[in-house]
Amino acid sequence: MALFNSPARVFLAATVLRLILLVYGGWQDAYSAVKYTDIDYMVFTDAGRYVAKGESPYARDTYRYTPLLAWMLLPTAWEGAAPWSSLTFAFGKALFALSDVLAGWLVVQLLVRCYRFPVERALRYVAAVWLWNPMVANISTRGSSEGLLGVLVAALLWATLTKKPILAGLILGLAVHFKIYPFIYGVSILWWWDAERDGSATACSDLLSKAFRFITPSRVKFTVAALASFVALNLVMYLQYGQPFLHHTFFHHLTRIDHRHNFSPYSTLLYLSAAGGAETRFEALAFLPQLILVVVALPLVLAKKSLTTAMLAQTFTFVTFNKVCTSQYFLWYLILLPFYLPSSSLIRKPTLGISAAVLWIAGQALWLHQGYNLEFLGLPSFVPGLFLAGLFFFAVNVWILGIIVRDGGEGAGEITVALK
Amino acid sequence: MKRRITFIQRVDASFDPQQAVLTASSLSVRGLDAAREDRITVGLDELPEELRAVLEQSHELHLRWASERSFDAAVPFSSRVSPGLHAHYTPLESESSSEALCTLLRTIVAPNKDTQFKGCSKQEESFITPPLLSTRFASSTSLQYYTYLPSIQSLVEYIQNTVCGKNRTDGSECHTRADALLSADSVDIDYDSDSHALTVSGLWNSPPTGGWTDQFQKPESAADQIEFGLLGADAGLEPEEIKMGGLLAVVGQDKKLKPTMFSFPSRHQQLTEPSSYTVSFAPPTGLHPTMSISMPRSSLKRPPAPSDATCALHTYLTLPSTIFGDQYQLATTDPLFLESHNLVALRALAGEMDLEAPDWVVQRWGSNWLLELATPPEAEDGTSAPDPSNWTATIPLHLRYLPPSETGYRTAHIPWPVVFWACTTEDDTKMSVNPFDRTNLGWDGLFGPRTLFYQLQPAGDRLVEEIDVPVLRLEGGDSYFQGKYIELGTCVVISLGFIWVLWRLARVAWLSGIGSKPAGTVHDKKE
Repeated sequence: MALFNSPARVFLAATVLRLILLVYGGWQDAYSAVKYTDIDYMVFTDAGRYVAKGESPYARDTYRYTPLLAWMLLPTAWEGAAPWSSLTFAFGKALFALSDVLAGWLVVQLLVRCYRFPVERALRYVAAVWLWNPMVANISTRGSSEGLLGVLVAALLWATLTKKPILAGLILGLAVHFKIYPFIYGVSILWWWDAERDGSATACSDLLSKAFRFITPSRVKFTVAALASFVALNLVMYLQYGQPFLHHTFFHHLTRIDHRHNFSPYSTLLYLSAAGGAETRFEALAFLPQLILVVVALPLVLAKKSLTTAMLAQTFTFVTFNKVCTSQYFLWYLILLPFYLPSSSLIRKPTLGISAAVLWIAGQALWLHQGYNLEFLGLPSFVPGLFLAGLFFFAVNVWILGIIVRDGGEGAGEITVALK
Repeated sequence: MKRRITFIQRVDASFDPQQAVLTASSLSVRGLDAAREDRITVGLDELPEELRAVLEQSHELHLRWASERSFDAAVPFSSRVSPGLHAHYTPLESESSSEALCTLLRTIVAPNKDTQFKGCSKQEESFITPPLLSTRFASSTSLQYYTYLPSIQSLVEYIQNTVCGKNRTDGSECHTRADALLSADSVDIDYDSDSHALTVSGLWNSPPTGGWTDQFQKPESAADQIEFGLLGADAGLEPEEIKMGGLLAVVGQDKKLKPTMFSFPSRHQQLTEPSSYTVSFAPPTGLHPTMSISMPRSSLKRPPAPSDATCALHTYLTLPSTIFGDQYQLATTDPLFLESHNLVALRALAGEMDLEAPDWVVQRWGSNWLLELATPPEAEDGTSAPDPSNWTATIPLHLRYLPPSETGYRTAHIPWPVVFWACTTEDDTKMSVNPFDRTNLGWDGLFGPRTLFYQLQPAGDRLVEEIDVPVLRLEGGDSYFQGKYIELGTCVVISLGFIWVLWRLARVAWLSGIGSKPAGTVHDKKE
């Protein structure tokens, strides 16, 4: 298709799609009692208004994010006459949508420069998975901040694959400050960035010198930069907003009990145990399988074979094994798919790919049907409905994860020509 | 001890002088068709030690109980609260923490075994502090508590066991009076530290079959007194006034019933035209039930308040912790949302506002919401035919997660809210001269002292809605619906998934190690 010959056209189309959704969203908000704008966006903008008044963003209930987000959305607090106020209100959504497009651009750059993709092929995959994906455009234009994570992860990959350890570290620190989970990428990048990648490889059999050789300038720079940006950001925020910042940005996410129904296989068990009905405390160990895979096993086995596939598998595992899982979490691994899909067995073997897609969608559909029965019809579908649907969806995800791991072992998504 | 017995006859009720007979030592009534209020005022020193201990720590304590049966309120007793028991409390020392009041309340409410209603443990844990939003409140107590209470059987037993002490000479009389409360439409109990007296009022809006037949003996002690009144009520000359006339007597003192006529300003007024509302939740309620308040359009004429008064229709919700509103959703100023629900604004809110907490985490009893409701636009010309359809305001609410049960459901009891017009006037009227004045109802304190209230009458058999809340179904015995199967199932599936991924990783590591050169693929890495 001629459209994919020109990056300008692909990005223009992605931008126009988001502009249309922004205008449509403004229209729906103005003329319908059912709002296009996400509830979370109201939380962000309320918090932005508190900050504009010189107060803490945590004065807004359920604001559980870094103050950076409220600061970024300060323009939404500007008061103005009718046309201006709706423009300033949409500022944050426009920012999130722009981050989407920028993330897509970074991924295309990487595919072309580091993965030696023809421009057309790179554009086709990124457009299909991310830039033209209506779900991605919808989420960011409704005002969910997940799009910001997309650009941070894409930038982290860009800095890493173009061998800029300090920049990569700074971005990682910022990303973890923003939304804890990207810390998992730090492990993969560290393991991946051996002396060979730095271009100073000499084989070494002695165990001690091997261990010593683990410490390379790039790894040190990356680690120090990551720690520095993470600590500096938290220190600034702590000095500014004190304990509420720590509580709402970090501790809340570590101590919350997610008793409400969600896609996680732990959901029913957590409800049972939160209500005091469980005999064992199995869920207290839920972090073990999740962290063993995400922090140790997956980076160790896959990172050096294919960094992006390792990161995809980590994200996929993190979401699948997490104690809480909502549809926004699926966005986290979407940004990494364009690196993996082109050489994956899901594309090479269409039957496998289609089966995976069908099963994944079926898992979602089964769960959503049970969720609808509970949420809207008021049927007690916790057991067996939601319980089994959650476990089935988990099983499908684990099966797909197995395919990603196998492909990663075969070098799917690996850089064919290292950049120098 | 002082008793005041007031019978209020409707204008059209028949009365024969033989129906009320006063002698030197007693007064008897026979077949009287009237509403009745009994009010007993007891000095602190006449009360049992246990009760006195609670009251001595109180600056103010006001209990308001209303039956869930529907009743037509008679003037001047037209004010209402939602069915159930409301406690309004100000401790003597604001920082004092005590379990005494909660112990008393538990005695009154027991044996309500329905665990989903928050038992009162300590007042600072179970009571809420009204109000959060309103800056226009005039006076209200510092703490408030509510519980669903269909019957005051336990309160009656408590009065019989402790107040009607064995040493009292009128023990059996006291028991009978207490029993009579069981059929009352509402019961008020008031104490304040200025008067050092406890007042218990029972209200019956309609007589028992055959009318009221009763006899009141002259009290044996000179310190005690029985006042009797047989009155009719009518609108006063001024819109804020009520005019009453009839017969008064103090039993044992007066030789005959004295005719009387007097008028006084009243904050609670009757609407001149019959006006009613019904409350319902449209099925299926799901986890996000919407409360509908429906009123015939004919019920929504502006009340007969002074012409300079500003009138607005309000509803005051008393929501137990099982159900709650989203303060950010309801406090919106978005005209589209408000119009679609026929709301004007959220005026005040207090209590449990957490949007995420399950019910077992919530400590306090629930929340209160004062909302101003929209009214239908006035017809352009009065000649058009009246619109027979109802006017409905809707309030979107949400259910909390409740503990598992054997059936998969738990019942949430939601009392009907009160619906009333509030008309604010400029006059500085002293409402407290009203001998039947009633305050501390929860909602009245959210308005200025010069506000007149006009209640709409709830029209329904039962003024409490029940919602089936879906919960996790857990059964005992051999059923599959047991907690242990959920625990076991989750544990097994997660473990299998974990092992599967580890196995896949192990195969990769076995075939191609953990280094960067995967076996079997051509890898043209730059040297």
